[in-house]
Amino acid sequence: MKLAALLVSGALAVTSGAALAHHSFAMFDQDNPIELEGTVHEFKFTSPHSFILLRVKDQDGSVTVWNLEAGSPTALSREGWTAKTLKAGDEVRLTVEPLRSGAPGGAWNVNKIKYKDGGPIAVTH
Amino acid sequence: MRQNSVAAIALAALLLTPAATRALDETKYPDLKGQWVRVGNPNWAPPGAPRPPLTPEYQAVFDANRADMAAGGPGDVPSWYCLPQGMPMMMNIYDPMEIVVTPEITYILISHVNDSYRRIYTDGRGWPAEGEYVLTYAGYSIGKWIDQDGDGRYDMLEVETRLLKNPRTYDASGIPFHKDGKTVVKEQISLDKADNNILHDKITVFDNALTRPWTITKKAARNPKPRPLWRTEACAEDNSMVRIGNDAYYLSAEGQLMPTKKNQPPPDLRYFKQSGEKRP
Repeated sequence: MKLAALLVSGALAVTSGAALAHHSFAMFDQDNPIELEGTVHEFKFTSPHSFILLRVKDQDGSVTVWNLEAGSPTALSREGWTAKTLKAGDEVRLTVEPLRSGAPGGAWNVNKIKYKDGGPIAVTH
Repeated sequence: MRQNSVAAIALAALLLTPAATRALDETKYPDLKGQWVRVGNPNWAPPGAPRPPLTPEYQAVFDANRADMAAGGPGDVPSWYCLPQGMPMMMNIYDPMEIVVTPEITYILISHVNDSYRRIYTDGRGWPAEGEYVLTYAGYSIGKWIDQDGDGRYDMLEVETRLLKNPRTYDASGIPFHKDGKTVVKEQISLDKADNNILHDKITVFDNALTRPWTITKKAARNPKPRPLWRTEACAEDNSMVRIGNDAYYLSAEGQLMPTKKNQPPPDLRYFKQSGEKRP
C-alpha cells in the first residue's frame, strides 16, 4: 500500500483515544461503556480535542446535554472527519466511555458512532 | 594577478560573513524537509511492550498515577492542564512535526498542546555555565552530525538534551521522571536506509527514577503532499479539564464544573458569597 494511502487511511497512526491526548483517556470508564442516542447540539472541531455536545432525552422526558470528547482535529482528520462532518440537528447513536463520577461527560471515538438510523457517518476519504 | 585578487576578495568576504548567514549546503545533509507524521503507538510502554524500568519508589508513583486515572483523575500528566509536554514526550509526535536544518541549529517544530519547538545546537558549543541558561521543558540540546558511511553526506544527527524543567512524564499514561530534574536524553535521528520517507528517532533516557537507561525508537513517515496542512493546537482554546489546586474537574456542555471522580467534593468557595451568607 502506498505511503499516501497509508497516511489517508490512518493506518500509520493509532487513532484510539487512549493514545492520542494531552491527557490519558484512561480517566474515562473504559470497562463500562454506555450507549447514548441523541441530537447534536454542537460539534466542536477544535483544540485540544474535538467535542460533540449531545442533547439526550432522559427517561423522565427531560433533556441533558452531554459533553463528549474525542481526539484532536489532527487525529479525526486522518479518519476523514472535518469540521462539517457533523452539524447541529444530526441524530446519532454512539458508544461512550463515561466520566467515572457519573456526570454527563465522556469519551467517544470515530469507530463507535453512527447516525440514529444505523447509517455510517459520512467522511471524506 | 587579477585572478588572485578576485579570489582573495572572495575569501575575505567569506571569512567576514557572520556564521548565522551561511547558507545550508543541502548536499551535505539528509533531506528532512516536509511534514513528519507519527507511525504507531506514541506510548513508551503500550500493552505487550516491556514495562518501564522504574525503581520501586517511582514504580509506586506510576502505580498511583494509574490508580488516579482508574478513579477518574488525570494521573499527574502535566499537559492535562496545558503545560508543555517537553522532552522526551514531545517526540512522541502526537501532532505532525517539521525539522528545519541550518548549519548552526536544527529546529524541531510541533504544535501539540501548544506551539512547541526545540533548538538543537550544532555549532560545536559546550554546555552552558551557570547563569547562561534557564531550565525549559524542551531542554537544552547539543547535536552533532555524523557521516556513518563516509560518503561525504551526513546521515545521522546525534543529540544530547539536558537542563529540563519539571514536571514531565514520558507519555499520557503517566510514567514519571525523578523529581531531581536531572534527566538526560540522548537521540540518534536518521532516515531509514531503505526508505528515505521514514524517519527514526532512537531515544535513550538517563534518569534517576530508572534502574537502567531506557531506549525506545520512535518512527515517523513523511507526508507526500507538497503543501501539507499545518494545524495549530492551543490547549487552552477549549480544554474540557479544569485544574483548581491539585484537583481536576470537567466542564459540562454548558461550561459548569463537574466532578471527575465519584463523591468528589466541590472546590473551596470560601471567597465567594454564598446565598444567605455575608462575605468575610
